[in-house]
Amino acid sequence: MQRSNGEHMGRVITITSGKGGVGKTTTTANLGTALALQGGRVVVVDADIGLRNLDVVMGLENRIVYDLVDVVEGRARLRQALIKDKRLPELCLLPAAQTRDKDAVTREQMIDLTGQLRREFDFVLIDSPAGIENGFRNAIAGADEVIIVTTPEVSAVRDADRIIGLVEAAEKGPPNLVVNRIKPRLVNRGEMLSVEDVLELLAITLIGIVPDDESIVTSTNRGEAAVYDHQSQAGRAFLDVARRLRGEEVPFPVLQEQQGVLERFFGIFGRRRS
Amino acid sequence: MGFFENLFGGRRDPSASVAKQRLMMVLVDDRYKLTPETLEQMKVEIAGVLSRYLPAVDAEQIEVKILRGEVNDYLKADIPLKRGQPDVG
Repeated sequence: MQRSNGEHMGRVITITSGKGGVGKTTTTANLGTALALQGGRVVVVDADIGLRNLDVVMGLENRIVYDLVDVVEGRARLRQALIKDKRLPELCLLPAAQTRDKDAVTREQMIDLTGQLRREFDFVLIDSPAGIENGFRNAIAGADEVIIVTTPEVSAVRDADRIIGLVEAAEKGPPNLVVNRIKPRLVNRGEMLSVEDVLELLAITLIGIVPDDESIVTSTNRGEAAVYDHQSQAGRAFLDVARRLRGEEVPFPVLQEQQGVLERFFGIFGRRRS
Repeated sequence: MGFFENLFGGRRDPSASVAKQRLMMVLVDDRYKLTPETLEQMKVEIAGVLSRYLPAVDAEQIEVKILRGEVNDYLKADIPLKRGQPDVG
């Protein structure tokens, strides 16, 4: 995006959820990596002050010198605090402070910070803290768009609904929804809310369906994004979310049931007999 | 649901539809902030208005629910009318 005065204007997108533990940080890391793989200049910002996490998920924890609060309080320049990704030169991380509390940053400072970042990058992805307090409000303060991550569970969907109300009240426009950790087998048995159920309840636009996938555990253990793993269903789903964010029309694939070792064995066994 | 059906793991509603029904009620409650007290108050007032036109409307018998629709939410009230008192008025 370009302003009329020729200044570069990247998109500031906040990833939030209300409830903790639904996959905000994993979504931010994978979406950031996917957008960079697809040619964008991307910065991911950890706005969870005091509970720094995005750095370990991305495998960049050993490179941190300065953090977001150092920049805001003038101890470091923005460029000094930005950490380059191991593989992708166009992907950067701005880490959260680990030793400060969540009120170390004000809303105005976040708006100012995102304003600086959008001049340098095409996408500024902000990983919001859980909850509906100051940390969340700061995280959406400078955002043009909001992505809400939920899982198909009653508590996560309820909190997502709360967050949607707050995002709408903050006049950020209608948020987009990522439904994370879908288990197709449970959905087929009627024992898990389907994506359609969640959409009917929350009534916002869907931008991603991410299956529950054990490869996320492995990739997080290694500090690598799942989008690099071509075997990872979740990784492929995040690549699709990135393409949709960039305006491409990508159909939602029908999720395959992930089979366990035993089932695979019996599957083969069964076929032989028939 | 019968005892034996339960015992043999028979026809319980799939938990997803239970979850959906519960969430519909909870989300509406979250959005409209209708406490049980205000709901009771509403029933008394509904009964008051209806009693001007109909005989024997009992506030305690009224069931009020808010249901979520695709575009709008809906207020649904079930109001039983007592039979067999045609001589009123």
